[in-house]
Formats: sequence, structure tokens, C-alpha cells
Amino acid sequence: MKVSHYTVHSPRTISEALNILKDGAARPIAGGTDVMVQIKDDLVKETELLNLSYIMDLNYIRDDGDFIRVGALTTYSDLIRSRLVNEYSPVLVEAARTVGAVQIQNRGTLAGNVGNASPAGDGLPPLFATGAKVKLQSEASEREVDIGDYFLGVRKTVRQPNELITEVSVRKMKPGDYYFFKKIGLRSANAISLVSVAAVLVPAEVLTFKEARIAMGAVAPTVIRAKSAEAAILNCQLTDEKMKEVGRLASEEAHPITDIRATAEYRKQAIAGAVYEGLYEIVNGFRSPVNGSSV
Amino acid sequence: MEIEVSFVLNGKRVTVKAPPAKSLLRVLREDLDITSPKPGCEAGECGACTVLLDGKAVTSCLVMISQVQDREIWTDEGLVKDGQLDPIQKAIAEEGGSQCGYCTPGFVMSAKALLNSNPHPTEKEIVESISGNICRCGAYPRLVQAIKKVANE
Repeated sequence: MKVSHYTVHSPRTISEALNILKDGAARPIAGGTDVMVQIKDDLVKETELLNLSYIMDLNYIRDDGDFIRVGALTTYSDLIRSRLVNEYSPVLVEAARTVGAVQIQNRGTLAGNVGNASPAGDGLPPLFATGAKVKLQSEASEREVDIGDYFLGVRKTVRQPNELITEVSVRKMKPGDYYFFKKIGLRSANAISLVSVAAVLVPAEVLTFKEARIAMGAVAPTVIRAKSAEAAILNCQLTDEKMKEVGRLASEEAHPITDIRATAEYRKQAIAGAVYEGLYEIVNGFRSPVNGSSV
Repeated sequence: MEIEVSFVLNGKRVTVKAPPAKSLLRVLREDLDITSPKPGCEAGECGACTVLLDGKAVTSCLVMISQVQDREIWTDEGLVKDGQLDPIQKAIAEEGGSQCGYCTPGFVMSAKALLNSNPHPTEKEIVESISGNICRCGAYPRLVQAIKKVANE
């Protein structure tokens, strides 16, 4: 489809945007870093685009009790610079720093990563590891969906065509929580993840954990939790042998595909290594926990 | 279908008619005769089309012209004042940071974005700021040197 075949709506308010979206024909665009590539590759079937970039009410980071509320226009650079996000969701900041490069972080949004629903979206594993919610608004209704229930498959989500992602709420981590984010790519900038993993570990005593959430990217049609690996971490000493076992369990839960960038076998080994490496860094003192006033 | 978009380009207000989903990169090159941003990959991966949008480095291939109404855009052309190169342009030329030259305007704008917000960056910050720009001639050490030179002035 030629670029001249698209109609672009550019509303100034959320209610105008929801009105445009009510017949479900338009494709919402926040930063556009995914959609512009898809337009070039002729992968956008909609002829109508909903440009959100002038809706200033969608650009915010708000402290709301147990959650940080992030508007749909808030970019990765905004998250990296935010004192609040650095303090309460450092795992999200760590992931945000690996998104594309500066130019992409300046345009790309967390909500756009959710909306695009690629299993390799770098902003997504931290949302699963911390427990986020996606706000969907339509003209007639509004709902919040747990991140774990949001994705149905590659580029498939529970969002109805007349609904707009207006906000992603990120659950705050607690002082003392440990975390890591690991991304394996072909280079460190502007590379799609071969695999990625985010983890949040809640301590019981010194370096033993009562709660663990490990979320893996690019190893299944959606981001998935590594539940057996999580269970293996709880209430035990993380010896080197134990950490390797946790990595192996995570790998067993991964069911990646072979594609142009890597084989399934490579991805399974890489995820085991990434999980081991993250745990190793925590156990050996290379990582500090959330301290609640780190800035 | 075309729309009219008005924005500030290198300090001057311009108005252009274009298909609304056309990229800023293509509008700059084809409709406004601004050819320093280069169409390398046109997928946001090479950085050759980097411009400043409201002061921030962005790949202009990924910006829709519909998104820049009343925004401020700077390209390499705008950095030249009274025939004099900007310090970063001059330093890249002097340090041999420009080989074939295709990537150079993108590096200039990434460096400019960094130096505008952080006049005395560390080497790590310099490397990070240009990590979204690819130079296939491999002039990276000279580019880093050029940015350091301006930062130390």
C-alpha cells in the first residue's frame, strides 16, 4: 500500500480519540517506532491511523499508592529520567535502557510496546515480573486487564478494535527486593532480543527468597513466566549448583522458535545462561536491592 | 490525500503539503530540499536520518509528518551559521570522523543532542549517545575523539 493511501486522524483529546476509534477501523499510533516500519514493509492492513501524539493528557508518570501510572504517550526516555520509576521500578528502567538506542527511546512508548504485542518487546518482561495492569478505554467503557491476561499470541491481545490503551500501571517494587533484566541480542544497540528475561526476588532473610517472579521474552508467542524456576528459588540457599538448576528449569519452560536471528536450541541455552547470570550477580553482591530512596 | 503541516525547521517556520503518513525523512528530502538526513535502512536501525525533534535525537524515518505540527526540527543544515561550521561539525572533519560521509549528518545530530543536554559527557555517555548510529567505514574512535574535543573546549 502506498503511503498516500493512509488517512491519519490527529485528535487533541482522549474523548475525541475514543470517538474516532468507535467503529474500530483505525490503528492507534503513539511514538510510531513499530508502526512506521510496518507501513514501510506493507504490513498495516488498516487504512486509517489514529495519531495520539497531540493528546497531552496521555503523557504522564503518576505516583498512585502501590502503582506508578504511565500514560500511553510516555516514552522510554521519560521512564529512564523519572525519579519515581528509578526508585520504585528499577527493573523497568534497566529494560528501558536496552530498547533500541537513544533515538528509539526518545519516541517509543511502554504502551506502544504493549499494543504492538511482540513477544520480543523489551519493555514487557518487567511488567510481568512486577505485575502491571493495562487500562483499556472505549467510548462506552473502561477496564483494567492484568498483564498476564492481556496477550493471546504474537500480535494478538484482548484489546477490542474500539478500545485504546490509555495507561499502563506498573506495580511498585518494595525496599529490599532484588531484580535483574537481561537481554541477549546480536549487538547491544538497535537489536531485537533473541531472548530477554526480567526477574524480581522478594527476600525472606539474607539472600533467601520467599517470592520470585521470572518473566521471559522471545521464547514463546507471548512473554511467559518461568513458574517452576520461580518455585525452585524459594526458601533455599542459592548455591552455584542451585542457580544452574533454576536456569535449566527456566529453559525447559521456554519453547522458542528457530528464525533468521537464532535457532530454538540457541535460545534455550541463552535463557538458561541469562537466568543463571542474573542470579549469580545477586548472590555475589554485584546487584543492590531496591532501597526505596535510591535517588 | 494530502494534509498541510506547519513546523519550525532550522529556526524558520515552514508549511508543507504531504500525505499524512509520509515520513518526516521523506518530506525533508523530497519536499523541503533538506538532504543531510540520509535514507539508510528506513527502519530506525542505522541512525543516518537522525534529526532533533524538540531538542531530542530521533530517527526521522520513524516520525510521521502528521506528528510534527508546530514542533521544532533541526538538521545539519541549520547548524551552519554565517558559513561557519558548528563546533561538532568542525571537530568531526578535523578528527577524520567522516570517511565516506553517509552516516556523518546522523552522528552530528546525535552528538549535538548529547552536548546540548550534557556539555561535558563521559566517554561512556558519548558512546551511548551514538550507539544508535552505524558507521560502516568504522570511524567510531575518531567520532568519539571529535565529541570529546568539543566537550573539552
